[in-house]
Amino acid sequence: MTDQEIIEQINSSLAEEFEFALNDMTPETTLFEDMGLDSLDVVDLVIVLESAFGMKIREEEAIRKIRTLGDIHTFVINKKRQMESA
Amino acid sequence: MRYDFTVIGAGVSGITSAITLAQNGYRVALLEKADRTAPLLRGFSRQGVHFDTGFHYTGGLGAGEPLDIFFRYLGLSERISSYSFDENGFDIFHCESPGFEFRIPTGYDRLQERLGEVFPGERAAIRSYLLQVRATCADLPYMNLDVVIDPNASLQRIFGPTLREKLDSLTENVLLKSLLSSHCLLYGVSCSEVSFAQHAAIVGNYYESVRGIRGGGLSLARAFDARLAELGVDVFCSREVTGITVGPGGTLSGVQLAGGDSLECNAAIATVHPRILLDLTPEGTFRPAYRKRLAALEETVSAFMCFAVSNNPVPALAGANRFLLPDAESLYDLGKRPIGDAPLYLSSAYREGAVEPHGFIGICPILFTETAPWESSRFGKRPEGYRQYKAQALERMQRQIERAYPDLAGNIHFIEGSTPLTVRDHCNTPLGGLYGVKHMVGQYNPHSTTRIPGLFLAGQAVVSPGIMGAVLSGFLACGTVLGHDIMRKELKVCC
Repeated sequence: MTDQEIIEQINSSLAEEFEFALNDMTPETTLFEDMGLDSLDVVDLVIVLESAFGMKIREEEAIRKIRTLGDIHTFVINKKRQMESA
Repeated sequence: MRYDFTVIGAGVSGITSAITLAQNGYRVALLEKADRTAPLLRGFSRQGVHFDTGFHYTGGLGAGEPLDIFFRYLGLSERISSYSFDENGFDIFHCESPGFEFRIPTGYDRLQERLGEVFPGERAAIRSYLLQVRATCADLPYMNLDVVIDPNASLQRIFGPTLREKLDSLTENVLLKSLLSSHCLLYGVSCSEVSFAQHAAIVGNYYESVRGIRGGGLSLARAFDARLAELGVDVFCSREVTGITVGPGGTLSGVQLAGGDSLECNAAIATVHPRILLDLTPEGTFRPAYRKRLAALEETVSAFMCFAVSNNPVPALAGANRFLLPDAESLYDLGKRPIGDAPLYLSSAYREGAVEPHGFIGICPILFTETAPWESSRFGKRPEGYRQYKAQALERMQRQIERAYPDLAGNIHFIEGSTPLTVRDHCNTPLGGLYGVKHMVGQYNPHSTTRIPGLFLAGQAVVSPGIMGAVLSGFLACGTVLGHDIMRKELKVCC
């Protein structure tokens, strides 16, 4: 998967599972202010990403630092790359 | 009439929630589908012997320990009388191959000492394990009333390590690992799936002290009833909630009942299985991600249970419950072994007023799929094939028990059995999970807060199974409503 494909997959999964409009989703979109998520939704976010990419996410620190959609893109891209090189 | 709160489900978590809210001045309605409150606590009687199906003993009820404080807060302490299980062996761990028996004592120091005597080469591992269990318990909200509730608390219970990974990192002794995992049978999740943190949160209480309640779960249920009446909680039994209504703005406004009635309220605490909750809430109130998460939650193992009585008292069964393991590795794949060659948990049963046991209940973890052929049949109308299955299973279980305890043979009559279908229909777990939703690494169970303003969740799925888990989940839900600091302060008064 290219980075762009990963980003598109993330956006379409989140749009479907959290009922967001794809057009409103840019890397700068903030999860908590713009998208209206709260700390409760972070768990669902993790599960959606885990099932979309067949990966297990256990990076507690990294998850807590996520603020924008771009942060999610970077996190998943890095994790995919790590998995591929492992 | 409009209630401040309705509580859906009069199990231990629902009653705890109702009492807590009523004590804080709220007008509360408690709704239960069964014809009486706390049906799982009450057990049943056969041939004059009372079998406790839902409650066998508990940790943390010693003077000044968490459950003792909680019961005082809930106004139950004066209404029940508890007794200590054998301090030198509240559980007897019996492994058939290799032949090995160990009486698990209470008290961290005594446990460490006894384990050290039997496994002298493993003293460091034992010490480290017990230290880590203790440290985990010291950090738990409400178990330690000084712990400030942090909504972003560590996800160790979900991220792991698993109990098995933790034990593998400490020792290579298979028998010791099996012994330290044996309490898996109290929550129905294999050591290779449960997180060490979750396991520690449950067993830590038992390592401190283990107590039973005189008259069993039934006495506790009666104490709950008396307290609910005293507080003026309106208890409605045989009233099944079929829906939750949401008013303008998406806030909870009431509940619908079977038969078409409805009840208005400002807020509700639901203690039903998360999957059942989905059926109660209007379409579109939860996001697809949350709905899918709840729908996909795995349940614990189910069980086949046997109920046995004796004409004469069986003092050998007093004061301790028993874990019967075919071999040291039989806790790795809970539920996947055939009945007769699977781990077993035995707990004694008493005639009313008797001090010595006159029988026991045996619980064997099996998968719900074992009774799949009869899944669509209902209680009282099961087909012949099912009855044959049950009789054979009972016989295999009897042989296993008599092999381990030859003294019992001839003196004990196996009078009744129950299957995963019985569990499904009585425990309201759609997949027959004996302990409801599983708590395991990688599975995110629901939180007490939901997306619907005014709707809160309690029940074993939120914290853990058992009396302690149910009470804690009630406090967490009420703490979310009242403020956790206020809740903690109120509880501290009862210390």
